[in-house]
Amino acid sequence: MLEVDNLAKHFGGVKAVDGVSFRLAKGEILGLIGPNGSGKSTIVNVIAGLTAPTSGRVLFDGADITGKPTHALVAAGIARTFQNIRLFGQLTVWQNLWVAENRQRERALPLVPRWLGGYLADRERIGAMLEFSGLAHKRDDLAANLAFGEQRRLELARALAAEPKLILLDEPAAGMNAEEIYELDGRIRKVREGGVTVLLIEHHMELIMAVADRIAVLNFGQKIAEGSPAQVQSDGKVREAYLGRAV
Amino acid sequence: MDFYFGLLQIIGVHTLLGLSAYVVLLTGQVSLAQAGFMAIGAYVAAMLTVLAKWWIFPALLAGGAVAGVVACAVGFPALRVRGLMLVVATLAFGEAVRLFFFNFDYQIAMGGIKVGPLGGEGFRQIRYFPENGYTTFHVMVFIWLVVAAVMTALWWMDRSRAGAVLRAVGEDEMAAQSAGVNLTAVKVTAMTVGGCIAGLAGGLYAHYTTHIEQGNFNVLVATFAIAYPILGGLSNVFGTLAAVVFIQAFLVEGLRFLGDWRNLLFGLLIVVSMNVRPGGLIDARNWTQLRALIGSIRKGETRARLEVASGGIMSAVQRLIQRWRGAFGA
Repeated sequence: MLEVDNLAKHFGGVKAVDGVSFRLAKGEILGLIGPNGSGKSTIVNVIAGLTAPTSGRVLFDGADITGKPTHALVAAGIARTFQNIRLFGQLTVWQNLWVAENRQRERALPLVPRWLGGYLADRERIGAMLEFSGLAHKRDDLAANLAFGEQRRLELARALAAEPKLILLDEPAAGMNAEEIYELDGRIRKVREGGVTVLLIEHHMELIMAVADRIAVLNFGQKIAEGSPAQVQSDGKVREAYLGRAV
Repeated sequence: MDFYFGLLQIIGVHTLLGLSAYVVLLTGQVSLAQAGFMAIGAYVAAMLTVLAKWWIFPALLAGGAVAGVVACAVGFPALRVRGLMLVVATLAFGEAVRLFFFNFDYQIAMGGIKVGPLGGEGFRQIRYFPENGYTTFHVMVFIWLVVAAVMTALWWMDRSRAGAVLRAVGEDEMAAQSAGVNLTAVKVTAMTVGGCIAGLAGGLYAHYTTHIEQGNFNVLVATFAIAYPILGGLSNVFGTLAAVVFIQAFLVEGLRFLGDWRNLLFGLLIVVSMNVRPGGLIDARNWTQLRALIGSIRKGETRARLEVASGGIMSAVQRLIQRWRGAFGA
């Protein structure tokens, strides 16, 4: 459903991403790993439409989406979370989810007026999101006042509130403790069960090895390996990138 | 009594002006063009009642509409700049509007005298209200009906999804985009609505003063427009109203006995209030407290709540006393 084709992004002389290609099948969880500065977040930013690539294409559901504005991509079904959490701190938990929208959404109740139908559908959808992320009791709290783990959960919920087909998770486990990571693992699986394809960028190896179907490994802006978690773990180049060359 | 009615007229018009900047500020844009939009509304509405003999109400709406259309047109190029550059760009636009009216003549003879805007001389004889027998009191009521309508509409907008979207854009544009918000549409809409409200304020202003000139819409007015919502806080529309009352009734009128010293105190008080209450005179926390208090009154828990609150004040006083004692070594 997502096809990244020979993508490159250069910042001046720095080749942050240098000819990376990969594909995601519908309902798959693809892990994207690599040392710091290997270009993972840049790829997410290009797919999400926040930066234009230097060259290469991104195809979504067969259509070329390269260079389209971010909000149009959300409407098409691509949502994301950020590595450093970006919530609307002075809005309540409820409002944070209310903002996220997807204009392609079908109106749930056909007979009531359109705007009212949309409103009621919104309420139902947001209520479900709050339950899913365990934030129902915090619905009227300001997002800035939430604990760190709750903020991460809210950001994931906000991305899901846009009812995406593909979700880009940029280091969702950063700063989490073991228990929270365990919960996150379960949540990512549930997201996939709900029919959403997942692109997961993560430094936390245990999580990514457990949850990803396939893993692509980046180093210095290039893909150096791709395969099942087991294949990637035993790959010589990957070990080299992470641990250094054997002397 | 007419003095107080007059003061209420000023407060009403300035509230509208402040609200026009409030809408724009919610999206994180600082616009110094609001005085320009106000001027457009003032001249258009006044020309319609004086030269075309329109009824006041459609004239006001037309003034607001023209100002809104201009604001929409300004909004698109203004999107390319942000932060300080947007302030400069909107300031330049406001001054351009002012200078346009400085050079704008359109007079026709009516009953022996020539009426209409005349460049630097301004636009005299906007006599719709006196000709139709409105007293100062009537005009005041008329203005406040408009203010009430606009405030109600904005209050409702604030509590709807639109309010959440505007604030989301104001807080974090990248996150808002990533949540599916079309930044261009939201910012231009906010600018347009702000322009409309400023235009309405201008129309009312022109008719209660009966005489307008380009100097009435200078950069000082534009500064006031953004000072009100900043001082009042962006939690809701009543903060802006409170700030207008504070500035116009207390600082400008209440301290008139101080003569020229007033201006000095004026600046000082604004600095002090921005320092003591950086979130605005009435910030988000106050509203939460107020809501909790009202909720507890409904549930009959007021007594307990007040005891907790007074306990909090007492312990704060005790801490303060302790700190003083510590400082003086007692």
